[in-house]
Amino acid sequence: MPQLRKVFARQEVSLLFVVIAIGAATALKSSAFLTTSNIQQVFIASVSIFVMGCGTALLVIGGGLDFSVGATFTLGGLLTAQLMVHSVPWPLAILVGLIACVFVGVANFAIITYLHVPPIIATLGSFYVLTGITTVMTNGLDVLPLPQGFQTLAQDKFLGIPNTVVFAIVVGVLTWFVLERMPFGINVRALGGNRDAALGNGLAVAWLDVALYGTAALTGGAAGVMYAAQVGSGQVNAGGSSSTLTVITAVLIGGVSLLGGLGSIQGVAMGAVLLSLINNALVLTQIPPTLNTIIIGSILICAVALDHLRRERLYRKR
Amino acid sequence: MNVPVLNLRGITKSFGSVSALESFNLAAYEGEVHALVGDNGAGKSTAIKIITGLHQADEGVVEVLGSPLPHRRSPASLSEHGISVVYQDLALVECLDIATNLSLGGLPRRFGMLDRRRMHKDAQTVLGDLKVRVTDVSTAVGLLSGGQRQIIAIARAVRLNKPLLLLDEPTAALGVQETAHVGEIVDQLKADGKTIVCISHDLEFVFQHADRISVLRLGRTVASRRTEDTTRAEIVGLITGAIRPDEGAVA
Repeated sequence: MPQLRKVFARQEVSLLFVVIAIGAATALKSSAFLTTSNIQQVFIASVSIFVMGCGTALLVIGGGLDFSVGATFTLGGLLTAQLMVHSVPWPLAILVGLIACVFVGVANFAIITYLHVPPIIATLGSFYVLTGITTVMTNGLDVLPLPQGFQTLAQDKFLGIPNTVVFAIVVGVLTWFVLERMPFGINVRALGGNRDAALGNGLAVAWLDVALYGTAALTGGAAGVMYAAQVGSGQVNAGGSSSTLTVITAVLIGGVSLLGGLGSIQGVAMGAVLLSLINNALVLTQIPPTLNTIIIGSILICAVALDHLRRERLYRKR
Repeated sequence: MNVPVLNLRGITKSFGSVSALESFNLAAYEGEVHALVGDNGAGKSTAIKIITGLHQADEGVVEVLGSPLPHRRSPASLSEHGISVVYQDLALVECLDIATNLSLGGLPRRFGMLDRRRMHKDAQTVLGDLKVRVTDVSTAVGLLSGGQRQIIAIARAVRLNKPLLLLDEPTAALGVQETAHVGEIVDQLKADGKTIVCISHDLEFVFQHADRISVLRLGRTVASRRTEDTTRAEIVGLITGAIRPDEGAVA
């Protein structure tokens, strides 16, 4: 699809230019920016957002929305940590933690599909419920100490690259492959692009929905587990509403359309790196961090306005 | 006479106190183009939704080749029953390309992955058979004109190669040339022995391509005529009620 590809490419290329511009400006102001450790820091800080963003992007491309992802993030890390503290071996603890997260996704799906609650409200509700559950679960306290074997999962390096970044790349490539190369990915785009058409063409809409909500919760939980390993504790306040909003912001800035159908994993990666880069640049250039939200908000609005323009150019009225 | 490909008998459907269909009958035979005409609110849309399974009839049976369809069925199971449908809202996905839209619901796989090359080849074959000139099957459907979309929607139904094709307003919002093209496709399908049931407002199109015309008025089949035995004036009269319905047509 040459036309589409051209447009997609432009969206990502324009993001890349923004990233380079901010990077260059910061490098001019601060000599600390272009150091290996700082660049690494930018990537490490974007990892959680990106991993969560992969599942969320699939879901949004498929026409859904998940506001509970920040709470699922907390649940994944916290439940895994608590199991380990109760001397469950870490691989089993991770498995149980992730299964619990998938269960949250399935619950979201069930509430939306069978109780006919709109996705935004259903997942906002489950966000609050989950936040309460994780607080009760730990009496509001962080969970530690965690076994060394678990911590090295995130803290070690592979060929000089931090494991968390490697993990994010693996998740990203897998998600890209599923979205662009598997029939499942095409069906997801069809579902998000025109739900009635998906139904009329005999796609298994309910299965697609449950897979999407499950995947969004799974990547949310996986990012939470990884974060717990990185910081060495299960934190009650690890995720939360800011985490949800950051992920959705990264996904939208990355060019995924809230109306469904359009979007790419490369774009989400750019969005996640951009958010982390802005944080980093503000600290290094000693611009008050209070400006952070103003800048991110403005970028978000620009990105979504751009998305609308893109759609207008793509689809002429019949 | 042989068994009708599609046979609807005594279909009744009401929504609350509003009666949409009252003993609606329709029989379409092999190799026949059967037009269903009627004014707005006559029950055409309800009729097609009952055939596709979107609505369930309160009474009556829908038979395909002599065997009744299950009362509750999903639109997804239609092709299993030998029916393919071109919906009025076309049911195309704008953000996907032509080839993908044509294969949707049965994407070709190779080692579990999408076989894009075969999908494109299939698309070119189908469009070539319909004498559609498309320079690039990887064009997003959102970029096509209304007429082009209509052709793609029909091509998709043709590709399923089912004995019965349901067309819902196939020429609504089409230009003269595009309407002619749709007509050619309908004629060709008929020559291939397909049965086509076509809901249409477009009497010119109907008189050019249909073998039989059934008129729906206020939820009842008021008449069914062979096209060569009737005139436009008679059909218009039956639609508006100026001409009295056939004896026995009203149950």
